[in-house]
Amino acid sequence: MSNKKDREKRREERLQEETKVDAGERRTRLLQFGAGAVFLVIVAVVVLIVASSGGGGGDATNLKEVSAVDSLVGGSPQNEMVLGKPKAKVELMEYGDLQCPICKEYSEEVLPQVIENKVDGGQAKISFNNFTIIGPQSAPAGAAALAAGAQGRGWNYLELFYRNQGGENSGYATDEFLEAVAKAAGVKDIAKWNKERKGEKFTNQVTETTEQAQTYGFTGTPSFAIKGPSTNGIELLGTMTTPEEFEEAIEKAS
Amino acid sequence: MKFPTEARLRQIIAFVAALGIGVATYITIADSGGGAPTCLAGGGGCETVANSSYSHIAGVNVAVFGIVGYVVLLASAFFADDLARFGGFAVALGGFGFSVYLTYLELFKIEAICQWCVGSAVLMTILFLLNTTRLIGYAGTTDAAVPEKG
Repeated sequence: MSNKKDREKRREERLQEETKVDAGERRTRLLQFGAGAVFLVIVAVVVLIVASSGGGGGDATNLKEVSAVDSLVGGSPQNEMVLGKPKAKVELMEYGDLQCPICKEYSEEVLPQVIENKVDGGQAKISFNNFTIIGPQSAPAGAAALAAGAQGRGWNYLELFYRNQGGENSGYATDEFLEAVAKAAGVKDIAKWNKERKGEKFTNQVTETTEQAQTYGFTGTPSFAIKGPSTNGIELLGTMTTPEEFEEAIEKAS
Repeated sequence: MKFPTEARLRQIIAFVAALGIGVATYITIADSGGGAPTCLAGGGGCETVANSSYSHIAGVNVAVFGIVGYVVLLASAFFADDLARFGGFAVALGGFGFSVYLTYLELFKIEAICQWCVGSAVLMTILFLLNTTRLIGYAGTTDAAVPEKG
């Protein structure tokens, strides 16, 4: 009897030992899988970051912020290069160069709040006027924006161009880049856009508004002017760096 | 410092995962009407990030993937076996890695900070640490109260 009990006890101890060894092996395996998974995730994240860091700007194949731009300008109607309700009493006029990095900063950091608070609400409209000063690709880019405006996508073109600028005057604004921006901006008839951007109407308009900016005494971009019920014709705005300053100017001009 | 029991770790994981579900659900709902989450301290960072092209994958808001991840993590907290431990670790690891990538995009591509996204990244980081602790401490055990030695 005691032999049987001893055998049973030894058998039980052996089974417990085997279970413990199995659990230990299972644990080791799980931790090894875990370490492998950590390594794979690190590799994956590094690959994603490296892949994303290409296309820093001026990359026709990797345009950024398309939906952000659609959201930004989607709240108001567009008419040529005017964003906002046609009956809005105040017009804020921007004179800019699509290649200008400061214009890009204004576009991203200052104007969105103005558009949301004043333009979408109908109190003001905002117009873009080419004032080409950066380099030889500025005028063709400006004409391309005007041609997009003729199809109701001018502000989409403008804002998308700003958000995808390459190095200043680095030659990135090629025909391929301009066309990629047009497609991403939602210009429907690309053939018509291509023809019109190279035509006299819009290339002359770029020259005219550039000369107009110079007669106003503007020396840099972006420069702003305003007109409204309370202004004496077109009034030039000094350097404004915050959305609140623009909103106050619109209030005063109303 | 005493090593936490697995029961305690599971409770904390469940709590943090529930918070994560709340944050990710808010982001999803705020985005769904064409709007954007509201930054609590003002500023337009939340809207800028929400309106960027990086906020969606194949037309789906990335927060939806967050909801799925947090739900799986919450579910894993209800079981004390190796499948739940490793599954929770793997999901938290993936969520943590994705959060790192999204934070990189905020800082260097979108150049705006969304407080809700940062909040979710913090929660996922905490869940990653908790699940790693759980896996290291309790993988291979059947007695959930005692951390595995060695």
